[in-house]
Amino acid sequence: MATIPLHRVNVLTGIKGATILEDPGQFTKQIAKAKRPLLVLGPRLLEWSLDGKIVLEYALDIAKAANIPICATSHLKGKLTELGVTPDSVYDVVEIVNALKDPDWKGVKGEGNHDLVIFFGIRSDLQNQCLSVLKHFAFGHLKTMTLDKYYFPHADFSLNNIRKDKDWKAFLEDLTKSLQTKS
Amino acid sequence: MSEKKEMRDLVEKLTKKQEEIRELIKAEIEWEPVGPTPMPEVADLRNWDMRLLKTYKPWYAPFCDLCCLCTYGKCDLTQDRRGACGIDIGTQQARIVLLACLMGCSAHAAHAGHILEYLIDRYGPDKKIDLGTFIEVEAPNIRTVTGLKPETLGDLKNAIEYVYKEITHLLDSTHFGQEGSALDYESKALHASMLDHVGMEVADIAQIVGFNYPTSVADTPLVEMGWGSIDKSKPVILVVGHNPATSTVVIDYLRENGLEDKIEVCGICCTALETTRYSDKAKIVGPLSRQLFFVRTGIADVIMTDEQCINTNMPEEASKVGSALIATLDKAMYGLEDATEMDTDEIIKRMTENKEHFAILEPAKAAEVAAKVAMKIAPQRKKELLSEEEAKKLAEKCTDCGICERACPNLFSIGDGITEMAKGNFEPMKELFNLCIGCGKCERECPQGVPIFRLMQVAASKETWKVRAGRGAVMDTEIRKVGAPITLGTIPGIVAFVGCSNWPDIRDIAEMVDEFARRKYIVVLTGCSAMVAGIWKDKEGRTVYEKYPPDFDAGGVVNIGSCVSNAHISGAAIKIANIFASLPLRANYEVIADYVLNRVGACGVAWGAMSQKAASIGTGFNRLGVPVILGPHSSKYRRLYLSRKEEDDWTVMDARKRELVDTGEPSPEHLAYVAETKEKAMIMIPKLCIRKNDTPQGRSIKLNHYISLYKKYMGGGLPEDLHLYIRRAADIPLVYRKEVMPYLEKIGWKPKEPVGLPTLIGTYPSKVSIDSVIH
Ligand code: SF4
Ligand code: SF4
Ligand code: SF4
Repeated sequence: MATIPLHRVNVLTGIKGATILEDPGQFTKQIAKAKRPLLVLGPRLLEWSLDGKIVLEYALDIAKAANIPICATSHLKGKLTELGVTPDSVYDVVEIVNALKDPDWKGVKGEGNHDLVIFFGIRSDLQNQCLSVLKHFAFGHLKTMTLDKYYFPHADFSLNNIRKDKDWKAFLEDLTKSLQTKS
Repeated sequence: MSEKKEMRDLVEKLTKKQEEIRELIKAEIEWEPVGPTPMPEVADLRNWDMRLLKTYKPWYAPFCDLCCLCTYGKCDLTQDRRGACGIDIGTQQARIVLLACLMGCSAHAAHAGHILEYLIDRYGPDKKIDLGTFIEVEAPNIRTVTGLKPETLGDLKNAIEYVYKEITHLLDSTHFGQEGSALDYESKALHASMLDHVGMEVADIAQIVGFNYPTSVADTPLVEMGWGSIDKSKPVILVVGHNPATSTVVIDYLRENGLEDKIEVCGICCTALETTRYSDKAKIVGPLSRQLFFVRTGIADVIMTDEQCINTNMPEEASKVGSALIATLDKAMYGLEDATEMDTDEIIKRMTENKEHFAILEPAKAAEVAAKVAMKIAPQRKKELLSEEEAKKLAEKCTDCGICERACPNLFSIGDGITEMAKGNFEPMKELFNLCIGCGKCERECPQGVPIFRLMQVAASKETWKVRAGRGAVMDTEIRKVGAPITLGTIPGIVAFVGCSNWPDIRDIAEMVDEFARRKYIVVLTGCSAMVAGIWKDKEGRTVYEKYPPDFDAGGVVNIGSCVSNAHISGAAIKIANIFASLPLRANYEVIADYVLNRVGACGVAWGAMSQKAASIGTGFNRLGVPVILGPHSSKYRRLYLSRKEEDDWTVMDARKRELVDTGEPSPEHLAYVAETKEKAMIMIPKLCIRKNDTPQGRSIKLNHYISLYKKYMGGGLPEDLHLYIRRAADIPLVYRKEVMPYLEKIGWKPKEPVGLPTLIGTYPSKVSIDSVIH
């Protein structure tokens, strides 16, 4: 049976669902393949914490490990500034998705549109809808990935639903390590 | 037949059609010259739509990759696939959006039609429309769209029949093998939604005239809200839905029989708002999101449903708690026996003795039955609500399995509150109750049968709040006063909080209202949003309705009314073009929408939009040139209208100089936009109130709010797109000049001339001439 997303509102009514990757190494491989990846970060990263550290900090570790540019959505920029990080771009999620749809977009670095977009920390119904936009209208030029602890059927690559926070934490830390080793 | 004759016939036919329209709109009465589009048909405003859609392109987020609308399906439309009929995924989304807008439009139009029929039956078609001393432009939407100036209830019938006709044509286009272009479906959705504002206007004008609702007045009574405000020692009648035909008759019955102080009448959703426009003794339980919660308390002795947004399982819900149910409208009869012709005593007997529910479609009869049944069964009602001790016991059944979180459309775990409750800690549940949109999915899914809604009784605040009763249309005198400051920009904007209760947090609306009223925006509200704006008190114990004046003026907080009252908000924007700018309205939609888009700094916020009606209300605002910010759930509507500020062409015509000007200014930036958080919405609202017409003084006021809200929620810095909105140094707010000037220099900003009279007319093919936008 197909995997059911944790939040039932995201159940796939369709045929093409995400490939589930379990192992950080598989994620690293996909990220390494990309020429111009982008990390789109959302406000839920401020609400979630793992072992007393907000998940935003795990996300930043990942960005740093693989030198991936960041797009800060919603009001995330405030916390980033506080942490001494300047995001490469600030858009709301529907706006960055709108730009990503366009194969000729210049990208957040002005070096051309991205070929891999990693979504992390947007409320899951909105994130899945945004992934749907890209699945249907940007499949020719870009792949999508998620790092939240839920299955997102509209992504190309997604984690499975993770029950225990300690497993998710281990995944995020291992991914950071794996990306560091790779670069 | 020769080609010539065919042509002649065609011309004759067209003229005949035009003649018919001229008759319907009483063209011979020359209150204004008849404009280019009287009673426009599906394609008549298409050029305007296509111009809007060129800048604000549809953004499709398919919610379902399949189509199952005919027996060729299911068809997989993923990516570049097409269905057997040839449709692609984008066009399919647009088709579904059109269907949603048509559902919304027809709900209001049928509501309007029903009210009209009822009132014409009561008063005759010649009953005059009189909205009071201060409202002469009584029907701005009807005037602008159809070209008719309605003077009587009978005239309103002409307007609503036009809407019915158009709905048929639009619905037809969704059939198998019709429209094949997403943009054309969008144009049709915009048409349907414009019609929705006509339908809503018909409904509310009829209600105001027929039920003597407040009109031409700002300080309507403050009414009580909250389930704690209901006197449970009395028999309680609950009205749910949107159509006041029955609830007003209930009030009449109670008044005539000296029962007004003996029976409580309370309401949920718009019928609550409607009933409080009729009687300030009626009470508002709360928005739609409190429907199931309240029904399951069993406090209501009799539940009367009318139409729209009612739980479709109401008979069963009522039976579970021993409430009696009367369905009063043919829209929702729930399979109940139609007792309209039955003897009243017989109905009462069967309802009280056999616990049967009925449909009664005659308001006077339904009212009498409701009152009598309520009085009979109230003494048997179980009056005690759940105690904390009982709640704790029930909560212990919870195994913390997490299934409720999976089911929850607001994506949170009510189970977390329940496990804490089992430990005797009630605080988390109180907090979580604010996030609950009342869908009931959690309780239905819970494998342990935990009665989650009953447990909410101990968490729900018994506090009571005040809401100002809906006041209907904005007065012409108010428009005259604010017209100049709005179009010059010195009043920074009109912010309209509208729509349903599918929000991330029930407290968001009040917080946003307070922020913008304090900043001297004009804040207007309708529907569920109007109710929950009252669910907050300042340190002095005042709700926003008590804290701010009720005037349509800078810093005012105005409850316009129910869902159908939204037509008075679009109407206010239209009236600015007419009363302040002297543009004729009659059948002149394109000119008026262009004026609103370029010069009226208004922004809608449908934070909890959920229903199809909200889809058509919002899309109707869009066609009129008013941008709408939606809450995060609304990405499930499947379609937004977004621009790309750096890439899009922001050229307008300067109507005075008659030259095209590339402004580079994305104002308004989007037409239908989803914000993920209220913080982001608060930053977008001031930005979406910016218009090209702003004077330097007005622009600097608007930018002041944009920058200060950006700093507040983004933790400092300047908005990334600020430079796009600064035309000359005079646009920069004084307080930020020291910070902004060096930034502009750094990025190589160059000043540009503001446009004298910005318009899109002249930038696309249109029958309308540039002359017609000059007033
Ligand atoms: S309407 Fe078209 S896409 Fe839908 S099921 Fe029929 S053939 Fe397939
Ligand atoms: S579904 Fe029921 S048992 Fe499971 S966590 Fe929620 S309330 Fe508890
Ligand atoms: S009723 Fe409230 S808590 Fe339960 S699923 Fe619906 S929104 Fe969530």
